Amino acid sequence: MKSKKINSKKNKSSNFSKLSIFQPNKYKFKKTCPLSSKDAPIVDYKNIKLLKRYVSENGKILPSRITNISQKKQRELSLSIKRARNLALL
Amino acid sequence: MNNYEHTIIARQDTSVSQIKQIKEKYSDFIIKNNGDIVQTQDWGLMNLSYLIKKNKKGNYIHFKIKCDGSLIKELEKNEKLDKNLLRFLTVRVKNFDLKTNYFLKDNKTNEK
Repeated sequence: MKSKKINSKKNKSSNFSKLSIFQPNKYKFKKTCPLSSKDAPIVDYKNIKLLKRYVSENGKILPSRITNISQKKQRELSLSIKRARNLALL
Repeated sequence: MNNYEHTIIARQDTSVSQIKQIKEKYSDFIIKNNGDIVQTQDWGLMNLSYLIKKNKKGNYIHFKIKCDGSLIKELEKNEKLDKNLLRFLTVRVKNFDLKTNYFLKDNKTNEK
């Protein structure tokens, strides 16, 4: 009897740890960069459909902390957006 | 020798024959100065996203050129003086991407 009780207590405590604020890292939601995967579209100043997704309504470039784009791709993106602006495509 | 992508925007009120002339003028200029034209694309008349010299639309012509940097300097010098042109842009690329044309849907007739 005693041993059973202890077991049940252990189970309860482990469940509780999942719900607590101090979660281990594996439960955190993590997004990956949409342009770094293997068959991702090419970032180019002519590819306006792609560029339009990363520009706000006012024509500003969206920050990478919102779009979850990697540092390298963000640099490429901002350069190609500026080129497209020069050609009056964006 | 480097690979360049060169885009020109011509005025909206130029006729079809005038655009052909402009196209020939600059492709002749490139060939005369030891440049290689790998491909030319005609994107046709497209809406500008903002006014340039009171133009709402523009004719886009796109060249893919293999040449030296000094030719590009000369080319841009000539284009600055040309009154039929609104803008130009040259970009150096490592490899040409000849298959995709992002503006094909707008001009099926001009593709030939």
